[in-house]
Amino acid sequence: MQRESSAGYITRAPRSSGLADVLEILLDRGLVLDAYVRVSLVGIELLTIDLRVVIASVDTYLRFAEAVNRLDLRQVDDSKSVPDLFEKGGEEMAETKTKGAVEGGMDAIKEKIGLGGGKDDDDEEEGSRSRSRGRSNDR
Amino acid sequence: MTRLYLYGITHPREVPQRLRDQGVFLVEDDGRAAIVSELDEGPVEATRRNLLAHADVVEQLHEDGVVLPARFGYVLESRDEALELLGLPEVDELLERHEQTCELTLRGKYEESVLGEVGAGLQPLRDAYRAQPSVEIGIALGEAVGEALADRRARDEAFVLGALRPLLLDLVPGNPAGEFAAFDLALLVERNAVKTVEAKLEELAARLSPPLHFKLVGPLPPYSFVRLALPAVA
Repeated sequence: MQRESSAGYITRAPRSSGLADVLEILLDRGLVLDAYVRVSLVGIELLTIDLRVVIASVDTYLRFAEAVNRLDLRQVDDSKSVPDLFEKGGEEMAETKTKGAVEGGMDAIKEKIGLGGGKDDDDEEEGSRSRSRGRSNDR
Repeated sequence: MTRLYLYGITHPREVPQRLRDQGVFLVEDDGRAAIVSELDEGPVEATRRNLLAHADVVEQLHEDGVVLPARFGYVLESRDEALELLGLPEVDELLERHEQTCELTLRGKYEESVLGEVGAGLQPLRDAYRAQPSVEIGIALGEAVGEALADRRARDEAFVLGALRPLLLDLVPGNPAGEFAAFDLALLVERNAVKTVEAKLEELAARLSPPLHFKLVGPLPPYSFVRLALPAVA
């Protein structure tokens, strides 16, 4: 049971409306009864892991960089409404090109740290170069 | 001997039929009552269903009376153990303290357009990234945006708290999860102050939204305000 108010900027729920609302308070808050058995709990790790987002990651920073570019405010001085931000920012920033560059960057990083993503790079220059480096190191 | 799963503590009263049908009942003792249901052998599984069932029981009973919710997963080995728990003096203190209170959880979250706002002061880096969208410059720009967003978070949280504080009995800040999360606050208020908090939030939204969205859940039982180191039972 949820409703939106104030032009959609407040979501109001009189009761917990999903696991995300109650997970932390049920597991970390509430009466703590150290004298009693808190019977072994099964499944906590699975429930909590997807709520813990690592913020300081390269992936996040690159997405921030791409988004901040896309949401450039300079040419939008007559209005700050969200639709304007998206429309004008998107048109002027040649979004696909920027995005391509960022994704290319991620591939390069994944390759550096050994996460090739399962794809074979036979037809890519970058891949064959790193392999030849590997061979020269073996000698 | 029957083991009892503990949902929380309340005053003796009638349990709604819907909860009785799920096996929920009270173990009563002189003005205090443990909210329990019988439990089979084995561990308590922290499944979505069990967690939401626990929340449902304490929230339903909280609608017309004080409930001190237990943390998820406590099991009493017998009815005697429940009575022992109810006899602790801290239980009376907490029941009295929370007679008219409730908890509201307030989460703030930004929409993506906040990045355009916090990035407004980073023009040289943005120009550099646009001229040469390399990974190195992208990371430098992204880190700078992350820092600016952290500043923005701190500022907005302080502003919201400053506005709400006169209405609060107590407050427990939580850990906001997610890169666009702004804050996650547990607020203790009088039950009859919920409408005032809602009205104040409307005011805040008018000033901070967009890009800040609020989610207000409650009135809930005072999950975050029943912390008491109960002494070991002999």
